Amino acid sequence: MDNERVNPNRIRNFSIIAHVDHGKSTLADRLIERTHTVESRNMKAQILDMLDLERERGITIKLVPVRMSYTARDGETYILNLIDTPGHVDFGYEVSRSLAACEGAVLVVDAAQGVEAQTVANAYLAVEQDLDLIPVFNKIDLPSAQPERIAKEVSDVIGIDASDAVLASAKDGTGVDEILDRIVSGIRPPSGDPGAPLRALVFDSVYDNYRGVISYVRVVDGELWAKKSISFMATGEVFEVEEVGVFTPAMRPADRLGPGEVGYVSAGIKSLADAGVGDTITDSGRPAPAPLPGYRRVKPVVFSGFFPIEREEINSLREALEKLQINDSAITFEPESSMALGFGFRCGFLGLLHMEIAKERLYREFGVELVATAPSVIYRVKLTDGSVTEAHRPSDFPADATRLEEVLEPYIKITIFLPDGYVGPCIQLCQERRGTYVNMDYITTERVRLVYDLPLSEFIMDFHDRLKSVTRGYASLDYDHVGYRAADLVKVDILIQEEPVDAFSFICHRDAAYHRGHAVASKLKELIPRQLFEVPIQAAIGKKVIVRVNVKALRKDVLAKCYGGDITRKRKLLEKQKEGKKRMKQVGRVLIPQEAFMAFMEVSGDDGK
Amino acid sequence: MTASSVYIHVPFCESKCPYCAFKSALKGEGDEELYIRTVAGEIALRSAETGRIETLYIGGGTPSSLSVDSWRALVDVIESSFSFSDSAEVTVEANPNSLTEGHVSLWREWRVNRVSIGVQSFSPGELSFLGRLHTAGQAADAAAICMEAGFAVSFDLMFGLPGTTIRDWAESLRRAVTLRPSHISVYQLTIEPGTPFYEKKFNLPDGYGQYRYAQWKLPKKGYCQYEVSGFALPGCECGHNMNYWADGEYVGIGPAAWSYVNGARRENAASLAGYARAIEEGGDALVFEERLTGERAARQAATLALRTKKGIDWDAFKSRYGEVFAEAIIRDLRRFPDTLVISDERRTALSSAGMRVGNTIWSDII
Repeated sequence: MDNERVNPNRIRNFSIIAHVDHGKSTLADRLIERTHTVESRNMKAQILDMLDLERERGITIKLVPVRMSYTARDGETYILNLIDTPGHVDFGYEVSRSLAACEGAVLVVDAAQGVEAQTVANAYLAVEQDLDLIPVFNKIDLPSAQPERIAKEVSDVIGIDASDAVLASAKDGTGVDEILDRIVSGIRPPSGDPGAPLRALVFDSVYDNYRGVISYVRVVDGELWAKKSISFMATGEVFEVEEVGVFTPAMRPADRLGPGEVGYVSAGIKSLADAGVGDTITDSGRPAPAPLPGYRRVKPVVFSGFFPIEREEINSLREALEKLQINDSAITFEPESSMALGFGFRCGFLGLLHMEIAKERLYREFGVELVATAPSVIYRVKLTDGSVTEAHRPSDFPADATRLEEVLEPYIKITIFLPDGYVGPCIQLCQERRGTYVNMDYITTERVRLVYDLPLSEFIMDFHDRLKSVTRGYASLDYDHVGYRAADLVKVDILIQEEPVDAFSFICHRDAAYHRGHAVASKLKELIPRQLFEVPIQAAIGKKVIVRVNVKALRKDVLAKCYGGDITRKRKLLEKQKEGKKRMKQVGRVLIPQEAFMAFMEVSGDDGK
Repeated sequence: MTASSVYIHVPFCESKCPYCAFKSALKGEGDEELYIRTVAGEIALRSAETGRIETLYIGGGTPSSLSVDSWRALVDVIESSFSFSDSAEVTVEANPNSLTEGHVSLWREWRVNRVSIGVQSFSPGELSFLGRLHTAGQAADAAAICMEAGFAVSFDLMFGLPGTTIRDWAESLRRAVTLRPSHISVYQLTIEPGTPFYEKKFNLPDGYGQYRYAQWKLPKKGYCQYEVSGFALPGCECGHNMNYWADGEYVGIGPAAWSYVNGARRENAASLAGYARAIEEGGDALVFEERLTGERAARQAATLALRTKKGIDWDAFKSRYGEVFAEAIIRDLRRFPDTLVISDERRTALSSAGMRVGNTIWSDII
């Protein structure tokens, strides 16, 4: 155990920030290797991305800090705390909290690709937090690397001087020593008063089945030790510290955590909601007068109904969501029932990726297979009687459309970086998605920054995939929420054999209703197997049917002669067929396969094709 | 409880048809003797399972491929062990090419009153495609001989062959009807795993039209559809098969034969060698047994009954399987439009249109 107090002057707290794929995780691995923090035989590629899922997707979701020890050129040994950040816009708030725990950041830019949307967004987040920035041009070993051009781009686009950027290759180790030295020389040490009332910033929390919530903290003032009574300033909840420690990156207990130190606290906390990211831990006996700035509860913006494929699995799904929420407090859920899908939960997420990860984790970690309805946003519905309600789902719209005064929907401001050759298709995409042009400028002679205001609902409908396809993967994007705006939106119902199927209803702009209704109806026609009778599929706005297609009646069957000896075999065949049908949901007399519900998620975005 | 229906399986054929998944083999030296001896053994072993016989069905395989001498021995075994009701229906399956005057006269002297002929088709091209050894003319001759002998004659006809149209099928039906058998079974070619046809990946026509044509044509000629595959002149329905659909019990004798006795469905060893070894060692030849109870038994019975025009008689069904399961099945059946499933207070049956999509309905209620 560390019994000595750590001198804050020997501490450097930093993050690595980068656009996706610019090599952040690989660089982190190199730093850990170079400082012998982890024996090389224990090195796994990208050791900080602890979840399997993250490793597979090559993205970081959860932040795993690591404490490194480095002897610098001045002969002194420093503690370098690397606080990793998630690399996706869905988790912008978590990035900002991680950065708030640091004094500096290594800004990694791909020396061949240059500045991308999240390079800018993350760099500005760091500037907002007043961090010292160390520019690093990574992948300098690539033949296409152009450090001079990139330096100019960083200076032109972001407005930071990158003339002294470290030229590095995380792949072959070039520049790693220089980066470590620059962290020591270019990032200021933490300041803080060990005698002042405790203030420690919670920049992440994880849930451990045995110890409960483990909060990752950065101590600003005061000290933290076991047995100390602490409180969380946002919630007021009081706990007794069970253990404090540091990350090596495995957790190692320590006697205390003093100003400037990064470590963990466990205090028998049972729910992540009690130890929210961004909250300030203080001494319950001698509380700090004010919390550290910046705490806010993250609010989900994208919603989807999660329904178990097997109806009996509803309780397993509930338990799984409860456990997942303990782990990921940004997820919300409330019970929901759907005529077609039975009982399930309406779940809220920070973004599409967050939603996909949750779905994947439910399956992998809890074995729950589910149908997720098309992601949606919260609309604000003004009625003619002057009242305003929040509409979470199409069924929250008034059945009588004449009572609608106005519908407002959430908007985002989206910033896209792309080569100028793709500007045309990209603008077309934004226009199709009801975007409002805000600004366009050339950041270099070939690269363009395009800014649009876009309805969030259009964005969550595979906008990112479409953008990638129209720009062949050369575009990057970032977005901010910019509030609610009025729009001419209608609710389109899908009727199967005259019965509306709520899972297929959707909200869209009036001009797109026919097109999208047709896409959904046609897709359903493909996916609904022929039944014993003709099945009409209609799309309707209120009572007005705008699209009608028919699934023709079944006319194909096999009539094998059946002998006494075949009875058991035949029964087994029939049972197998029945099993197949069980995986379908029955609406009225019509069996609708799960794939139809699944495909609906895709079809709602297909209209651009 | 004893069964009044007996099935005897004859496991020999003159050749293996490339579509057939039934258990049969070409005869080896001494196989007929071994077969007769062990069938006698099994019949002796299981005599307690049968009461007075109402229906006996000797199928295969190809029963007419047994020599007349072997037939005589088989008849002796049967007569010495079973007692028959006066009105017992006794059916033998025969192929046109192996049926001889000798078989016919022996059968007539014994108690056979029904012969089911494996006609399959009257088109030379289709017969050769199916690997049948007979010609259309031989089928007509065999039918004539059997009718001459006073047997009720049934034809097996197959539709839905690759490349066939409704016109080809209509022609076979026309030829069949002209010969006036009292019973016609129509069934669709199905490709079963393990058969030579399975490997060929045929593009089968949608059999719907051909089946529908049979449903239109045969009743006009007096053949009433009393079961999904069965058409018969009035009073000429196959009693043995009707017992199957009524969930009645039966004793199956011979290799690969199935029995349904005391609520259990049982299967004998499929190969003659395996079957014979088991019987000669003094035991039974069972390789599989299944006993359905409760709702599964009820649903099985309902599915079988729904193959027939008579359908499910709810009073009888409820007294055998109970009110609760009956109601559950009735609820499931209600989902189908009345153009497909016809119900009154007493019965539920499939309409002609319902029979055309029978599998889909059965697989819902099984």
